[in-house]
Amino acid sequence: MSKQKDIRILAYESSCDETSTAVIKNGRKIESLIVATQIKSHQRFGGVVPEVASRHHIEVISQITKEALAQANASWNDIDAIAVTYGPGLVGALLIGVSAAKAASMATGIPLIGVDHIMGHIMAAQLTDEIEYPALALQVSGGHTEIVLLKDPTHFEIVGDTRDDAAGEAYDKIGRVLGVQYPAGKTIDDWAHQGQDTFNFPRAMMEDTDYDFSFSGLKSAFINTCHHADQIHQELNKYDLAASFQAAVVDVLAHKTIRAIKEYQPKTFIMGGGVAANHGLRDRMSQEIAVLSENMRPKVILPDLKLCGDNAAMIGAAAYNLYNEGKFADMTLNADPSLELPYAKSMLE
Amino acid sequence: MKILSVSTATNHLSVALNDGQSVIIEKSEQDERNHSEHLDPLINEILQENNLQLKDIDRFAVAIGPGSYTGLRIGITTVKMFASILNKDVVGISTLQALAASVNDKDTLIVAGIDARNDNYFAGGYVNEGGQPVNVLADGHYHISALLEAVKDYLAVKPLNKIIFVGSGFTKQEELIKALGVPFSYGTDDQNVIHAGLIGKLAVAATLTDPDQLLPNYLRRTQAEVDWHKKTGKPFEPDSNYVEEV
Repeated sequence: MSKQKDIRILAYESSCDETSTAVIKNGRKIESLIVATQIKSHQRFGGVVPEVASRHHIEVISQITKEALAQANASWNDIDAIAVTYGPGLVGALLIGVSAAKAASMATGIPLIGVDHIMGHIMAAQLTDEIEYPALALQVSGGHTEIVLLKDPTHFEIVGDTRDDAAGEAYDKIGRVLGVQYPAGKTIDDWAHQGQDTFNFPRAMMEDTDYDFSFSGLKSAFINTCHHADQIHQELNKYDLAASFQAAVVDVLAHKTIRAIKEYQPKTFIMGGGVAANHGLRDRMSQEIAVLSENMRPKVILPDLKLCGDNAAMIGAAAYNLYNEGKFADMTLNADPSLELPYAKSMLE
Repeated sequence: MKILSVSTATNHLSVALNDGQSVIIEKSEQDERNHSEHLDPLINEILQENNLQLKDIDRFAVAIGPGSYTGLRIGITTVKMFASILNKDVVGISTLQALAASVNDKDTLIVAGIDARNDNYFAGGYVNEGGQPVNVLADGHYHISALLEAVKDYLAVKPLNKIIFVGSGFTKQEELIKALGVPFSYGTDDQNVIHAGLIGKLAVAATLTDPDQLLPNYLRRTQAEVDWHKKTGKPFEPDSNYVEEV
């Protein structure tokens, strides 16, 4: 049997505050990955400023294209498709990647693939291990908190979603109250491991029968607790605060996700998004799945820590699946800042 | 020399193919806000109609600013990638110089500007010398009163017969403009939009840029940066200091 031709995809990601390029072989192997992060810039403002982000993206986009090819030891002749995140995200930021990818496609004649950023986050798992379908993903980031059913490599459906704040957004907001520099997730996670859940913050919607989430109540409870302590000049233990907050987030995420696993019985469970780098959440999900009965226990794929944040490697992985389905974009591809995966029927009723 | 030129600086999208100084074809879309959707198909249309491919283009040119920040970045990103990948020349042309290039009147101060709202303008002053618009008042972000003050100062030193205002938003300033006491007129509808063909002409003699260094000339820092600077008193560092590869 003759060996199939290797498929190499050059991918772009610029939806928020990271400009990234990568070359991915057969949707699984990272041949190069460049991530230019703007964190230092946005730390000046305490969060991402869209216009500043767009200005930084255009400063590096052509340079990191060359770097991705060089690091992969590849030329344009070796590339079978050019992939780009076209949404969701900041429109001005997305447009840099989209404009660059389209221009590269026109200049080289290499076909173009538009990738949903969330599909990309979930497909970071494909760079770690082979996904067996159907699969279920817990996608947690600064902008999203979703449980997603993967019917096959390109057909995803949201079965649970946040009604208000995303989990990562709540981390950043309570981080600000604790004086933690943006992005706060890693520090809160570290502190949580040094404290105890003593505050018993609310676990919203935990016992509801759906798979939806809500984190704004938790955020408010946290902020009120801190303000009240301030007023009576009481010093609260920041480690216990972090541990209590994280316990509430992780409890709800784990509880609902396990229930979704029992209902949908996926062959693989995946975590994706920036908050998938949270050790508290990773450990908890692994433990809870390990104690499921064997016939209900999916294979678990937790992406590499460095692939949880925004990066082009995950976009290249997702694009490979779209490539196999012949799902190409044309030169009218535009940024779609509010792009959403489709909702499952159960969510629309 | 085949030159492909692009302007996405305003809501008027324009693409042109030049052979040196002569414009072979120019295509525009008026009031088009989705430049991202229309730019590449428009480029393809022009190339196909002239039996050309991108690799046949010798030089790329683009309106580099001022203008709509997002708009500028679409055109500049596109052109910088073309030039970078195909190893071709690339030049950035001032949006205001391109506007001024539509005026051939002699002994005339050409004030080219883009309405930046609240009586502010991205504007510059030009005079036509030997068919070329030469900058005499630096491109900048001006309040109308500061702009007209600069015009007055310039004309005090260098008297010219008249002023012509090209671009957008000047007619509503007629009272202030009249007060200058110098004969003036406004550009025609055709002169008030940016023509990629004129960018192509200006590109012939323009200085080449490294595609990686081809960036918008915004003429304004972001509000967030200005506020941060005011609040902290810290100096602005070069943008490259804030971005790191990890």
